[in-house]
Amino acid sequence: MKCLLIASESAEVLFHWTDPEFQQNVQKQYGASQEDGQGLPAFEDSISTLFAPIIISCITMVDRLRDSYTSFTTENHHIYVLHQFDECLYIAVNGDGEEGECDLRRKIYVVKKMTEVLFGMVTLSSNLLRKELRPQDTEQRARLWKHLQSLLQTYGHLRENDQSFLVEAVERLIHPTLCEQCIEFLERRLVQQLNSSGERAGEEVMHAFILVHTKLLAFYSSRNASSLSTSDLLVLIIMAQNMYPSNTDSDDPNPEVENDRRTSGSGPESFYTPEPSPPPDRGSSSSGGFCGRCCSMAEDSLQTLEVPPPDPSTPRRVFLEVSLKDGLYPMMPHSMYCLPLWPGITLVLLTKIPTSAVAMSVYTFLEAFAKLEKRLSEGQEGSAATRGQRTIHEVRGKLDKFIKALGPTEIQVCWIEFKNLAFTRGGPGFSRHLIPSCKKMKTQLCAVYRQCFLLESGSSSIPQRLSPGLQERAQSMVQEKLMDWKDFLLVKSRRNITMDFPGLIHFICVDRSTGQMIAPSLNLTERNTSELGKGPLAQFIRRKVWTLVNTTRRYLQKGYSTVTFRDGDFYFCYFLWFENETGFKLEAGDLPVLSDDSAPIGMLAWDYYRKLLRYYSKSHQGEVVKCYELLTVHLGVVPAEIILQHCRQLASKLWEPSRNPLL
Amino acid sequence: MTELMQPDSRRCTYFFLYDGSKVKGEGDLTREGICYFYPEETPLDEQELLCGQLAGAGRCVSELSSSPVCVLRLRRNKFAIRMKDDFFWALGCPVEVPTISVCELLDQLINLFRFYNGSVRRSYQLNRPETLASRWAQYLSHLQSGSSDLHHIFSCLRTIDATNIDPLLLLKAALILQACQRCPLVSAGCVLFRGRVVSTQISPELTMKVMVHESETYTKGPRCNDPGTFNSFGGAVSSTTVFLTVSELQHLQSGPGDKDFRSHSTPHKKKPTRKTRLSRTLSNTPSTESEPSDAFSSPSFSRRLSDSSVFSPDPSQSGADPTPQQPDPPFSNGEPSPEAEEEVPEESNYESFHSNGNGVSQMHNEAGGSLFGEDSRLNGGGGDGDAARGPVFDFRGAEESRDHNVFEEVSGGGCGNVQGRGAESPDPARSDDSPLIPMTLYLHRVKGLVLALLVEPCFLSDTDSMEEVYHSSLASLNGLEAHLRTVSPGASGPQGPYLFAHFDCVQSTLTTNLSARPGGALQRPFVRATSLLHSHFCNTETLQEAIIRSAGAAVYGTRSVAQETYFQQHGGSLRNSGIPNHQDSAFSLPGKARHRLLKHGVNLI
Repeated sequence: MKCLLIASESAEVLFHWTDPEFQQNVQKQYGASQEDGQGLPAFEDSISTLFAPIIISCITMVDRLRDSYTSFTTENHHIYVLHQFDECLYIAVNGDGEEGECDLRRKIYVVKKMTEVLFGMVTLSSNLLRKELRPQDTEQRARLWKHLQSLLQTYGHLRENDQSFLVEAVERLIHPTLCEQCIEFLERRLVQQLNSSGERAGEEVMHAFILVHTKLLAFYSSRNASSLSTSDLLVLIIMAQNMYPSNTDSDDPNPEVENDRRTSGSGPESFYTPEPSPPPDRGSSSSGGFCGRCCSMAEDSLQTLEVPPPDPSTPRRVFLEVSLKDGLYPMMPHSMYCLPLWPGITLVLLTKIPTSAVAMSVYTFLEAFAKLEKRLSEGQEGSAATRGQRTIHEVRGKLDKFIKALGPTEIQVCWIEFKNLAFTRGGPGFSRHLIPSCKKMKTQLCAVYRQCFLLESGSSSIPQRLSPGLQERAQSMVQEKLMDWKDFLLVKSRRNITMDFPGLIHFICVDRSTGQMIAPSLNLTERNTSELGKGPLAQFIRRKVWTLVNTTRRYLQKGYSTVTFRDGDFYFCYFLWFENETGFKLEAGDLPVLSDDSAPIGMLAWDYYRKLLRYYSKSHQGEVVKCYELLTVHLGVVPAEIILQHCRQLASKLWEPSRNPLL
Repeated sequence: MTELMQPDSRRCTYFFLYDGSKVKGEGDLTREGICYFYPEETPLDEQELLCGQLAGAGRCVSELSSSPVCVLRLRRNKFAIRMKDDFFWALGCPVEVPTISVCELLDQLINLFRFYNGSVRRSYQLNRPETLASRWAQYLSHLQSGSSDLHHIFSCLRTIDATNIDPLLLLKAALILQACQRCPLVSAGCVLFRGRVVSTQISPELTMKVMVHESETYTKGPRCNDPGTFNSFGGAVSSTTVFLTVSELQHLQSGPGDKDFRSHSTPHKKKPTRKTRLSRTLSNTPSTESEPSDAFSSPSFSRRLSDSSVFSPDPSQSGADPTPQQPDPPFSNGEPSPEAEEEVPEESNYESFHSNGNGVSQMHNEAGGSLFGEDSRLNGGGGDGDAARGPVFDFRGAEESRDHNVFEEVSGGGCGNVQGRGAESPDPARSDDSPLIPMTLYLHRVKGLVLALLVEPCFLSDTDSMEEVYHSSLASLNGLEAHLRTVSPGASGPQGPYLFAHFDCVQSTLTTNLSARPGGALQRPFVRATSLLHSHFCNTETLQEAIIRSAGAAVYGTRSVAQETYFQQHGGSLRNSGIPNHQDSAFSLPGKARHRLLKHGVNLI
């Protein structure tokens, strides 16, 4: 019984996702209320009718009481979580007990983050986002919704089954030698070749990484690239998993059904049955067709649609954060190429597109208008409203040129209007009257951005991308490199590390400064046994670990950085601490105390830890501060001193400079 | 051990009762449906807005989920919600208050109202809304008055500070109560001193309810023209009708003091009779035997029955009963239908039972006389069958099940066990449906000291019994009052280098060394941690102990079936990096707590 809904302030459904149970429930209710038996209305209509009173009430509460609903709980344990971002109301519902209030709030933030990665700065204008999420064209809408729904489903699956999505940090495959070799290969061979090729259509590869299921084998960023944020990387992994799901990861008791769903008849079944060792020549000779098959499968989430799948070599447009010397630029356009090497192993390339400088300008302008609007609405006037960096005065000249280059468009009219109001003598100047004009300019800028980066790939006749041949070459190069390793890697990803502390059942260690985690495997499929083996005990521990993470987050939210508890036959520990670069342990400071409905603690949708580090660093100026977390599960009979010794050893060993923990 | 009282720490920010049945048509104004709204000075349009929106959105969600809403959160307030028939109760608190506590407060409030007024729906049919509004206000202010944050967290009884009192005085109070029970018409009672419990024979919930009336008469002072006071006793004695749920009555009857004192004074009860009755009752009882059978074998039960034809019904009740007599025994299916109008059918049955006892005994004749008739009435007592099966006092069960609704408090995920537990424990909402049985609350006041007894309604007309109870306890009460008065209040023992709170879940009492100083910045972290840990304990059945540490404080919490204990050590070096370290002082808290708390009578071993 799950549902997620995005609605506009006028109670229009902008997006919805429901599981079959919820859908049945809605249809049953609708059936009950329709006595004349005239057949059920379209599902979208029923859901919109059923939720409309809640949505309208929510808007009324904000308008008139300046307060809004954050959640409802019913006696049969159904939970409704509501959150408003600008003019869009998000509602997440659970009625099967599998998700709590914090999980639902997290899901809402994740969907928000996905829209940012998919639509970029268009999300800054509610009006444009509304149109983007709910295209007039029903075919297009169905296609987009299917895509979002499938992303959400993939996220839900990973969140329930993959520890790195539980704690929201990237898991690396631990094999330092191979890892180093691969990074070198990506740098010296792959990226260099791609970026010097004439077939790259002006694109430049900024980042390249290899995923084994959801784990990172190697990650390389080119020298002039900014670092990729953990939040963005996690979303990219979800997207890659959505295109090429690792069915071996799933807990599905019936793998055949899973296979059917994924291949949708377009590819041979054998594709998903890992073959022990294909003939050596297969990799290079069949890679082209291989790719084609995979990409058509990638679109299988749209299987009910009659729309032909897009060209498989067409990259996905993604909007990622870029941090440069002169500041942070969120949602900068990139192209994402997801190239399957073997089932479970994927190469991902992220390129900067030639027009990305435009995006930076648009962002600078947008920021200037947003700042101005904020100050004006706070009641500041005149020069007080235009102090500081990146102000309207600073960008005025650039904006003039920018708009001139665009030619006669609507934005030109708005800009002239704005200048007349703001800069002419005797005019109202920088006062409250300027606010509507600021808003208009922001919307116009978002529209320009949309024109440049969202419509481009669809309408343009010459696709802007690395040529299919180049993509194929990249793919086969890496396949060749990893040919001898691939089986090892697939196994390794299941048994990343082992542990030998008697009484220790499980641990998760996270480096929050780099967004990476290490944990023994907890996979519970029939084919793969984890450290704990399989069966009910492993399932039980897994559930405990998932609950533990939620519980410790709850305490962390309230400012508690050390939590230990005895629960049934187990003893759980959680520690969060700070170190400087040399490994010196820094004193635990006061952590911020957040409200119950604050953004979820994690790194995927809203980077709590980045903010925590910034907050903590204020009292440690001039030092590089690192933040670590350790969770452990012990048998309850182990004495507390031993448990703490284990924790201490794990904490110091796991992130030794050799980056070679517990091998 | 005096309380930490902050001038402006009102727990409740909003409370309202909204009657949706008054606002059905298009033209009906929302204000017509507002039965009571707190704070009363809230502008009417804001009242309408909140009532209309919350009730509307609540109903919409309930329809979508086919289940009433029980918790509703806004950004700045959280509301406990109860939806019953067309009534919509909402009690709002600041978001920091644990959800469990908010829900408990609302339940207490509604139950208080029902205790003194009977069925809510019927009260509104019989009384002017203004009269009832003042009662809601009174109960609300009583529940909020003069308690510390810790008391609010645990929703516990306010008890007298036992550390400064000669234990003999407590024994004396208990003896007074036992002596009163020699009168067969007295069920059980409690002794209160200045709004605090000295000794009680009844469940914490019931004691809490009784205390409202006590504080009310205390503030009003004895009034001789009050219909409830008795001139013959110099205005020191008063009484009022109260309404008990079937489970409350059963617990009352199964109280430990009962049998010892009663067996000889009720000569017509013979063991064999009881035995046969017991077995027959068991065969009727849907499940676990022990609790209900205790209740039924209790002599006072049968006594109640034999008396039933004697006592006359309260004229206001029987006269004004709006519902026609039901042809079918309303409990025949053992579960009141949710659509049925609140408790009216049950009560009308009750009244018919009393007003023409003949008819009733005939009705049950073939089943073994009027005794069995009573049994079947109680046994079939609808949803309360569940409650009666619980542990000694069903409030634990009720609390637990309520917790599922607020599971989110601590651990959002892993809700798997929630469902399972929910199925076992009685549904708290069900208690609203339970039939109510009128009894009389008898109060005998000696200055600050009050003897409160729950007695059979006919006690008041039985002058001999009344005089016997009055005179047999008068001297002891005077003596007890004189002693208690001399105990210096608030001189709590020396504060140790630590803070602790010990909550007895069975008696619902709290022992703590938190000081009375308002604010108590040093205590704030302890109270905050305790509140979080209490929620966690409530939500996770298997959780036994926990240590949590922020930069300011490390607090240890541990619990067993019967108690929860929280401990924080002052000073020491809190300077640490937070990295796991077995020499860390936080991990020595369990040992310290065990050692330190022994002298407070808290045994953690």
